[in-house]
Amino acid sequence: MQRRQFLVGAAGAAAALPFAGRARAQAPVTIRWWYHFDNPQHSPAELVTRFERENPGIKVQAESVPWGGGNDYATRLYAAIIAGSPPDCAMVKLNNQARLLEMKALEPLDRQVAGWFGRTDIPDNIWAINKATDGRQYYLPLQYVVLYLYYRADLFQRANVAPPKTFDEFLRAAQATTRDDVWGFGMRGGAGGHDHWASFVLGGGATFDKGGMVSEKALAANRWFVDLARVHKVFPPSAPNDGFRQIIDNFKSGRAAMTIHHIGSANEMVDALGDKVSAVPVPRAADGKGWTSFGDESNAVFAASRNKEAAFKWIAFLSAGANNVDFNKFTGQLTVTKSGASGWSLHPKRFVDATFDSLPIAAVLPDHPKTADFTRTVWPQNMQRALLGQIGADEMMRAIERHFHG
Amino acid sequence: MIVRRSRWRQLVGTELPALLVVIFALAPYAWMVLSSVKPTADLAKVPLVYLPGTPTLAHYGDLLARTSFAANLLNSLIVALGAVALGLAVSVPAAYAFSRFRFPGRRPLLVVFLVVNMFPVVLLIIPLFVLMRILGLLDTYGALILGHGTFAIPFAVWMMTSYMNSIPPDLDEAAMIDGCSRLETIRRVVLPLAMPGVVTTGIYIFITSWNEYLFAMMLSGHEVRTVTVALQLFIGEFQIQWGLLTAGGTLVALPVTVLFLFVQRRLVSGLTAGAVKT
Amino acid sequence: MLAPAVLTTTAIVFFPVAQTVLLSLRDAVLYRPQDMPFVGLANYKRALDDEIFWISVGNSLVWVVLAVGLQFLLGFATALLLNRSFSWRAAARALVVVPWALPSVIIGLMWTWMYDFNLGVFNDTLVRVGILDKPVAWLASPDAALYAIVLALTWQGFPFFAVVILAGLQAIPAELYEAAAIDGANGWQRLRYVTIPSLAGVMATALLLRTIWVANSLDVILVMTGGGPGLATHTLPLYAFLRAYSGMEFGYGAALAVLLTLALLALVVLYVARAAREAAR
Repeated sequence: MQRRQFLVGAAGAAAALPFAGRARAQAPVTIRWWYHFDNPQHSPAELVTRFERENPGIKVQAESVPWGGGNDYATRLYAAIIAGSPPDCAMVKLNNQARLLEMKALEPLDRQVAGWFGRTDIPDNIWAINKATDGRQYYLPLQYVVLYLYYRADLFQRANVAPPKTFDEFLRAAQATTRDDVWGFGMRGGAGGHDHWASFVLGGGATFDKGGMVSEKALAANRWFVDLARVHKVFPPSAPNDGFRQIIDNFKSGRAAMTIHHIGSANEMVDALGDKVSAVPVPRAADGKGWTSFGDESNAVFAASRNKEAAFKWIAFLSAGANNVDFNKFTGQLTVTKSGASGWSLHPKRFVDATFDSLPIAAVLPDHPKTADFTRTVWPQNMQRALLGQIGADEMMRAIERHFHG
Repeated sequence: MIVRRSRWRQLVGTELPALLVVIFALAPYAWMVLSSVKPTADLAKVPLVYLPGTPTLAHYGDLLARTSFAANLLNSLIVALGAVALGLAVSVPAAYAFSRFRFPGRRPLLVVFLVVNMFPVVLLIIPLFVLMRILGLLDTYGALILGHGTFAIPFAVWMMTSYMNSIPPDLDEAAMIDGCSRLETIRRVVLPLAMPGVVTTGIYIFITSWNEYLFAMMLSGHEVRTVTVALQLFIGEFQIQWGLLTAGGTLVALPVTVLFLFVQRRLVSGLTAGAVKT
Repeated sequence: MLAPAVLTTTAIVFFPVAQTVLLSLRDAVLYRPQDMPFVGLANYKRALDDEIFWISVGNSLVWVVLAVGLQFLLGFATALLLNRSFSWRAAARALVVVPWALPSVIIGLMWTWMYDFNLGVFNDTLVRVGILDKPVAWLASPDAALYAIVLALTWQGFPFFAVVILAGLQAIPAELYEAAAIDGANGWQRLRYVTIPSLAGVMATALLLRTIWVANSLDVILVMTGGGPGLATHTLPLYAFLRAYSGMEFGYGAALAVLLTLALLALVVLYVARAAREAAR
């Protein structure tokens, strides 16, 4: 019985409804779109009005959904899909694409994208990153950030070191800037902090392929990273529980000389620190290899939607030139369009440069149904235990290997 | 001399400890209120800024003018009152029955009401979501009131049963011997005596519903948004709107405190008001 | 008279509980809704072999005993104080309710902020006063994190006991105190032989319900540490929640929830007997 309950939703989601024909598209339709903004004072109402004026016959009902560390947003979306009542389209991230595909919840957009005028305005590498493992395009890119290294120019000058380009230089800079109540690197050890670890350990040679976390290179890279805390003590003692708020506050208040975050916090940093803050790409390994996190955000259309053409029109509207720039004014991230990126004025140039310079090493975690759980529980749990010395660095890597490969 | 000594005892034995308890209860809240009137730049400064140099009501202005917080407060109020009404309406008769009648299956049934309380509600969210979707209640007041009923009703049945048990049955028996019908007895004897219990249970349901987040987030959308969900919207992916959050938190506690100020008189009625002596 | 309560509870509680219990017998993964094979008790067996399950059970025990115990003691004392008459009693009664009037999310965030290593008012004050010579990372220390959260929860929950016991105190007939006074009982004896016995039923019920509530509560922990550092603040409902929604292993999460319910049942079986006897009186 209860299995049927779940099946009801699944069947509804799986039964791909035939595309609405041209005749139907002209009847007035309302599409539901879910979004999340960091600042609730911002509202997409203006964009909705503009869209409705350009597309008479389509109404957009924009619903903000609490982000809740990503968990609330995802839980609500999954529940709606299981119950057979997802919105027509929603803001989504790559770390959930594999699961949504496994649920057969997403509608492929290849056909619509091929005929969309804005396609060539989005760079090829952004399209490539957002492609699903089956080679199809389900996500329409909306905005992005790339993680880079923030450093305190004043503290670096005081310690007489230059912004690091390699891991070795990073360690030296961190040691040089660490003193009584200042730590070299404000490390994020709470959930979501895997990006910090990944820059050094994936950059140092670990991979998510079978055996990739327990290779000699991977283990060595992780030992080096854990030693930053255990041996060199360049992380603040609060690192195991620090989230994005704490690393930014530590950095702003001068307790940390470096941290890793993205352009979304640049304006806040400059407000507090002015010229004393700057940024460079994250350091690379001795062999020149590097890794930094590409923070993606896209829109997707759901397979259960009855108004897929209208939904696509809306999400395509949001990803096109000037609209996309306006959208990013609300979110503080970067436009995915080439036309919007030229003449970008929402952030100081040095941070935009650091972002662009990081693109060659920017990547995402594997598109795997277990990735979301890795970032939310497996990584923080094991990282924190390793930082506190409760388990060894190698044991942490074996736990991650087990999570993905049994 | 005696008067002064008892005044001294009153001060040290009662008022001073009471003051300490009130300070403990208020200190974190006071910190929040203080933060809510600080300019944003003062919120993340080292060394800490204790008192705002230039207090500002800007956060409150933004909260009420640029977000839908006032409407959300109203939604929360409707849901919480609905949950109280539902909880009390079904639990008071049930508690009376459990307390005054002896019937087969009484104890097992009472235990069942307890056991359903023990199941972690987070695991009920998805089945309940599907149920509400089938009933067509998603994003209505009904969904939230029923959702909050999942914890309100079993709790209220137990709480009310134990309060009713503490009223001597001789009292209502005496009233019935005097010619009152059962309903009259309940209305004129049992309910007035149980009033502190009814009020306490009502407050409990109100507060729990008022503060509830998970059901509110899952079962409602943009039509019926409660304050807890609205507050959560101030905690974004890369930013926390501390100003809005502390201002919102300050406001959220006020209705409950004021409500309690009003209903607490009711706590003092009941047996001590002299019912036993008549 | 019972029908409304029984019917509503069946529909909105019992039915979803039964669904979840049945799902605990399946390998139910939320992102594979089409394929949920029946696996019998495999999820339960897995839990018993799971190191994290046992760590969570241990933390849950400490969590429940400390949080409920402290809430109760402080709440009881508060109720006794607020039952005496003094000029600002009405204000005191209303103000004490404030912690309880705040949503858990806010409480979690505010306390996290107050405990903050860098910007926290605790560290700042303790260092200024000279009790600490340097700030402590309360929530990042495996020895302190659980107790730090217990303090936050005590703060949130003691008004519940205060209010419930205060209401109970009103129901004690004045004659009992008068009689005790005639017998020459002092304050302590009146508390021991009149107040506590008269309140036994209400206190047992309040303790029981609060124990269940605290044992099941996870929102404050979720906000403050998410279960960390490491596993230091992993409790059983949090673990069930993370398995069900982060891992999307709903079947396993459901099994953990059922085990939690069984554990609670075992823990409160004495209570149930006591309280049911009380109710059956």
